[in-house]
Amino acid sequence: MIAVAIDEDTEAIRGFADGIDFPVLMDADHLVTELYAISNVPTVVMIDEADRIVYPNWAAFGCDLFREFTGIDSDRQHDRIRDWVRTGSVDVSDDQIRDSVGDLNVDEEAARLHFRIASELRRRGDEVGAARNFERAGRLAPHDWTIRRAALPLQDKDPFGENFMVLYEEAEAAGSPYHGVRGY
Amino acid sequence: MDADLLLLESPTASADQLPGLIGWSLKPEGLCRDDVCIPVQDRAALGDESAIDLVAVAGLLDRPAVADESGLTAIGALRARRRSALVDLVAPDFSLPNLEGGLTALSDHGSKKRLLVAFSSW
Repeated sequence: MIAVAIDEDTEAIRGFADGIDFPVLMDADHLVTELYAISNVPTVVMIDEADRIVYPNWAAFGCDLFREFTGIDSDRQHDRIRDWVRTGSVDVSDDQIRDSVGDLNVDEEAARLHFRIASELRRRGDEVGAARNFERAGRLAPHDWTIRRAALPLQDKDPFGENFMVLYEEAEAAGSPYHGVRGY
Repeated sequence: MDADLLLLESPTASADQLPGLIGWSLKPEGLCRDDVCIPVQDRAALGDESAIDLVAVAGLLDRPAVADESGLTAIGALRARRRSALVDLVAPDFSLPNLEGGLTALSDHGSKKRLLVAFSSW
């Protein structure tokens, strides 16, 4: 396991990482979401010994905390991972993998860049500049959770509760776009 | 090797600054690094020697770029890096800070099966 926090809040992530013995990495500038076209968390990718992606971006859950909300039984998802670890094979073809993750469009790319600028301006204390770039990023990628929701705590807004529901309903109205596989 | 993320202070740079900022030089034969040159069809579109447009340069390298009015200019990774993941199904390597204060790369665990998990506190 290699966990990558799409996050700037190292202390919050330390809380999750307590007692964990695999690497936990901080991706404050959202590099991995650009390289892998990741648009929400959790997103899991299965990579073999030869660096081949054998199962692509997948909304797989570590536990059933959100089961009532997602309808996903995480145990069934873990079975796929266990089978792969044991047998080395996965029951999907390369073509199926390729078909299941849409590339980022140019707006989604630009949104990531504005997010990076916003984060840097925020670190420098330029709140106006940060707000301008978070807003642009959100307009360019309105249903990308690594943009819209990740920006909330960086602007002292709660990423849960009502703010989450607003984003959730907007995404649902747009068909809940996701760059990857949902379900099993 | 191009750095995946570049955050530059200005949307323009002089020809002298260019190699230090993006690793490529503007020469008569094009945009060059070592013995590789990318042809520049429209030299004028890049601006003059003292103020070369970095967003346009990034475009020639097939990297996304945006400039903010603060001056900050962000250049993203080569699009080929993401094509590696989505088309070739080869996992792009990356190196990021770990919680112990060091750096960890995907390739540090290269001979093993890896489950890459993107998560967050939000």
